[in-house]
Amino acid sequence: MNDLFIELRHITKRFPGVVANDGVDLAVRTGEIHAIVGENGAGKSTLMRILYGLYQPDQGDIAVKGQTAVIDSPRRALELGIGMVHQHFMLIPVFTVAENVILGSEPASGLGRLRMREARQRVADLCRQYGFILDPGAEVGALSVGEQQRVEIIKVLYRGAELLILDEPTAVLVPQEVEELFHNLRRLKEQGKTIIFISHKLDEVLAISDQVTVLRHGRVVGTVPAARTTKAQLAEMMVGRPVLLELEHPSVTPGQVRLEARRLRVPGGGKRLAVREVSLAVRAGEVYGVAGVEGNGQTELVEALVGLRPIAGGQLLVDGRDVTHATARAIRLLGVAHIPEDRHRRGIALPMAVWENLILGHHTRDEFTHGALLDRPGIQGFVRRRVGDYDIRVADTDAPVLALSGGNQQKVVVAREFSFNPQVLVAAQPTRGLDIGATEFVMRQLLAARSSGMAVLLISANLEEVLSLSDRIAVMYGGEMVAEFARAEATPAELGLYMTGTKRKDEARAG
Amino acid sequence: MKGRLLLLQVATPALAIVFGMLIASVMILAIGRNPIDVYAVMVRFSLTRTDSLFSILFKTTPLIFAGLAVAMSFRASLFNIGVEGQYYIGAFCAALVGFSLRGLPAVVHLPLALLAAAGGGMVWALVPIALKLRRGAHEVITTIMMNYIASALLLYLINDVFRDPTQIGTPRVRTPVVAPAARVPSMGPLLAPLGLHGSDVEKLNLLLPLGVTIAVVLAYFLSRTRFGYEVRAVASNPLAAEAAGIPNARVQFGMFMLSAGIAGLVGLNDILGFFGYLDIDFPKGLGFLGISVALLAKNNPLGVIPAALLFGFLDRGAAGVQFFARVPKEIIVILQAIIILAIVVAYELLTRYVRTQRKREAELVVTATPVAEGTGS
Repeated sequence: MNDLFIELRHITKRFPGVVANDGVDLAVRTGEIHAIVGENGAGKSTLMRILYGLYQPDQGDIAVKGQTAVIDSPRRALELGIGMVHQHFMLIPVFTVAENVILGSEPASGLGRLRMREARQRVADLCRQYGFILDPGAEVGALSVGEQQRVEIIKVLYRGAELLILDEPTAVLVPQEVEELFHNLRRLKEQGKTIIFISHKLDEVLAISDQVTVLRHGRVVGTVPAARTTKAQLAEMMVGRPVLLELEHPSVTPGQVRLEARRLRVPGGGKRLAVREVSLAVRAGEVYGVAGVEGNGQTELVEALVGLRPIAGGQLLVDGRDVTHATARAIRLLGVAHIPEDRHRRGIALPMAVWENLILGHHTRDEFTHGALLDRPGIQGFVRRRVGDYDIRVADTDAPVLALSGGNQQKVVVAREFSFNPQVLVAAQPTRGLDIGATEFVMRQLLAARSSGMAVLLISANLEEVLSLSDRIAVMYGGEMVAEFARAEATPAELGLYMTGTKRKDEARAG
Repeated sequence: MKGRLLLLQVATPALAIVFGMLIASVMILAIGRNPIDVYAVMVRFSLTRTDSLFSILFKTTPLIFAGLAVAMSFRASLFNIGVEGQYYIGAFCAALVGFSLRGLPAVVHLPLALLAAAGGGMVWALVPIALKLRRGAHEVITTIMMNYIASALLLYLINDVFRDPTQIGTPRVRTPVVAPAARVPSMGPLLAPLGLHGSDVEKLNLLLPLGVTIAVVLAYFLSRTRFGYEVRAVASNPLAAEAAGIPNARVQFGMFMLSAGIAGLVGLNDILGFFGYLDIDFPKGLGFLGISVALLAKNNPLGVIPAALLFGFLDRGAAGVQFFARVPKEIIVILQAIIILAIVVAYELLTRYVRTQRKREAELVVTATPVAEGTGS
């Protein structure tokens, strides 16, 4: 089993202004699980797109099973046995599993009549062969995220793929689903399939893969066997410097309650309630973490807490003051800062300059205004200090913020929201889409805020992040808080059960 | 980098104009004329005669107001297609104040007429903006509808209610003449000492310097004030602005009223500056031209001035080629349209180019200086 399934030799791909892949060599053996890790912008996606025929390399060549090949389209890639499981599912919700799987290569009779029964049979066979638990007749819209991912994998297998590329497959899964995915992947490997696994979650990479290739700035830093490396070593290879993976969590005595929600009810789209009777209290000097699969009311809860969404019932208090029906501006003025879950939507105005984004929401302060005019010198001083303190990499603060990398954009948001001594911080998915370096930075800032006596509400789908930062952890499911744990009691497996709705707190208390 | 960007920003519309001229050349060739001769006639006629120059300035004046009006709404992500209707109403209100009040001194009467015009424009914009902000009705639809209503209403008011009684029995359908105190003073007396005379010089009035002043004030207002900053925030990302506590609806309302108020002044160049009455055949379509002007100016108040001048020039040039080169002036209308299309495409290309440049620059900075050392300012 030592023959190479695919070999990339000196692949270079340039885009205007960047070299996305710079002389990349990659050799993947048949029947192995080969992980490709690297920070955002390291060139993982570009490399995979080249492999799948979506991009053409500027230099270098590709050999599939020892034969030099030109992969000029996804169709050609599939002919060569290369299939891609996309991070964002491409499924039609109202179709059944079988209908989705055959879409694009439907078995038909000579007259064009669809052979649905045959299709269903073949899908069922594939599931049996690889041990996938999936009902070919089920409607895809009703399936869980993990099951939908299985449909995507079956889709690729149905088309005869020998090599499967999985792009960040665990990003959307809860721990139990990750376990199941890994189980399935191992089964695929036993049957001789080759798998390329793209991720930046190092624990998972070490758990599933045989070989790990690390990319940085478009170059291969090295390929190491997973059995002979560590998380710390991989992180250092990715970032180029040692990274502290375990953050210190010094004990802080919590102070008084700063942010309190009492039986909060918040409408979602239409008349349906997205948040049902949620109560929570966040104290000064603590991080209160809310874990949960996205779409369980977190977005609506956060928007309600910061005054961006009307509250249908219950009470919201900041420092004991009733702000249930207050405007976003009034809540902000009481010292509530907000790191929005989607910085491009709520956090920054992309076409505006870096300096303009840094004062957004603070722009009415006396230090920034002269009557109706903006006080540019005053603003410049503030902006210079923030850029320095938060190490925002930008040459010219007059440049639009869209010119910055995602990590630097998030730093702009964090720097702005931490200005002028907020008392409460509502941080929603604060490290989403950030690479290791920037994630570490943001997590440190959150802990520093906690030490300085801020009350931090952390809403995150990233369980690892919630566990490492929070003093108390609640789980949100179906618009409700279904459990609350002290830091010491919480384990990923336990939280996972609540996140999927398998367990509820009433049962937990009983047992 | 900054100097080069500025150069590009000026070069882009220039290239679009050249491109438009090339396409129009094909059409001029198709009707059997030499495009170089035609353009030469156009330039000679428009730019070497005093009467032409002043005629261009006269035509530019309402276009500055119209361009500013449209640009202000675009700045707040609103599409005020209703400048046309708003200036009809504004013109009528100014005429009404002008002819119905008598004996006021000019320092009171003229400002009153101007305020009436601006107020009329604003009132006409209230329904669309209220429907937009309260109910989400798209302002493009509602303002277009309001244009039709304004047009019909104006015909009714001029023809049936306020028609000058002394003109009954003649083919002239118009309001009574406004009081001299409500007329905008001509710039003729100011220009006479410079040796400039003639009816086209006399036509030019103080609304031109007023328009230029408003453009300068707006440029300052938008770039330097807190409100201008909020406008930028609301336009570039309303959700982020909302999260920052900026009242989106209030900002949009303010800008729409500003737009409509300026729109109300568009017709005054002809009504109070030249004719002195509102005729049923008063110049129409200026509001729509304002959209082109704002587009060409990229909604920059200062850019509106040269953009309006270009349209004034093309308009005068059209008369020239029709008369001297015997080329139908529709060719020039086509030229205008092609320039607009070319501009839209060219600006989009420029925006993309600038974006990649900025990205590249930012990335160079990151790789060149691993640690940012007080790089602000």
